[in-house]
Amino acid sequence: MRKTYVLAALITGLAGLERNALANGWNMPVGVTEVSRHVHGLHMTIFWICVVIGAVVFSVMFYSLFRYRRSKGAQAANFHEHTTVEIFWTAIPLLILVAMAIPATATLRHMYDASEADLEVMVTGHQWRWHYDYVGEDVGYFSNLTTPREQIDGTQAKDANYLLEVDQPLVLPVDRKVRLLMTSSDVIHSWWVPDLAVKKDAIPGFVNEAWTRIDEPGIYRGQCAELCGKDHGFMPVVVHAMAQDEFDAWLAERKQEAAAAASGVDRNWTLPELMERGEQVYGSICASCHQPEGQGLPPTFPALVGNQALLEDLEGHIDTVVNGVAGTPMPAFSGTLNAVDIAAVITFERNAWGNDTGDIIQPSTIQAQLSP
Amino acid sequence: MWGVVKSVLAAFFGVQKERQRQHDFSEGKPVAFIMTGIVLAVALVIAILLVATLASR
Ligand code: HEC
Ligand SMILES: [Cu+2]
Repeated sequence: MRKTYVLAALITGLAGLERNALANGWNMPVGVTEVSRHVHGLHMTIFWICVVIGAVVFSVMFYSLFRYRRSKGAQAANFHEHTTVEIFWTAIPLLILVAMAIPATATLRHMYDASEADLEVMVTGHQWRWHYDYVGEDVGYFSNLTTPREQIDGTQAKDANYLLEVDQPLVLPVDRKVRLLMTSSDVIHSWWVPDLAVKKDAIPGFVNEAWTRIDEPGIYRGQCAELCGKDHGFMPVVVHAMAQDEFDAWLAERKQEAAAAASGVDRNWTLPELMERGEQVYGSICASCHQPEGQGLPPTFPALVGNQALLEDLEGHIDTVVNGVAGTPMPAFSGTLNAVDIAAVITFERNAWGNDTGDIIQPSTIQAQLSP
Repeated sequence: MWGVVKSVLAAFFGVQKERQRQHDFSEGKPVAFIMTGIVLAVALVIAILLVATLASR
């Protein structure tokens, strides 16, 4: 009788501990999708199976150590084989494993079924930022880290979303099945958002599929989960889930912006306009490699400031930014930046930090190279 | 023949009686065990595939 009470108290205590661990963020999150709840359920089931096995095995062990100690004159049994016992200790783990594998496989099959999606987003990993492209919608953009340098260097207090904040999150509608097509432009990255229970490798030359259907509007944060170089810890994932009508309005606005950018290609831009735009593009995209003042990190990332060979070769400069340099970390920006951004950033690089060449590169020049 | 099959299945499971093991290692040819092992391994793979396709329908 008393033993039952002790056991019941122990179980309630452990269950309380589990809730506590969840609230403190020690445990895996339950998340906001059907799949994430399944995954959390599996995780807890397997965890408790392990706890029970551990409790049984260690109880028997400590009981035997105590009960059959030598000072009480215990004699070790001396036998070599015992087929029945061997069959038992082989069959029991086998059954436990099969029992765990059945629900786990069912969940995995569900996770892998990316068919019949309402919306498709291409997710491309870059060193070191994510690029999102709404398939068939003409909307695509980079998502850059916005944590200020001072917080990273420790001269300023870190805020709650330190290293988990971006300029433009991935925006998704709730209650819709979204297919995510993952790939990479350079090395292997991995797109991971714990609250969605999605973690998928983004591999250059391959397209991996994942999907999610978010139940609650909100902001969900994650990180790149595959060591991908110097700024691996500086390319977070932020997902902003909103109601379908809000999402539609957002998408329409983004399409308008894209159209406005396209019309900007045809007009003539002034140097100050290009410099302003170029500085923004440079700061969010190029500075992680070529450094904020253009000084680079030789020998890997060349300096742009006072780079004579580069400043004398405008054609080469344009070609490098548009087409990248194969076999090096320098990416091609023809698919990810528009003509205005490319023209602006090149103009900026040729006139900033005392590079004063006076060159003005018009977006129309770049456009001609983007769509030959 | 049945004895060989039983020994191979015991090896798959990982538990064998010492007496049987002594017997297997002193009598019979290794070739019989190897061939039976290959045939049963293929059968096991087919059985698992079958269960998997049935379960995932
Ligand atoms: C992931 C790192 C990375 C990013 C981001 C990056 N670059 Fe580069 N860039 C490189 C590397 C590495 C090279 C050297 C390539 C080589 O070996 O020829 C390079 C070369 C260049 C060169 C030629 C320099 C020379 O001396 O020939 C220019 C110009 C350039 N990058 C501009 C840009 C611009 C503009 C951006 C942003 C839109 C940018 N880069 C973003 C890594 C990067
Ligand atoms: Cu990465």
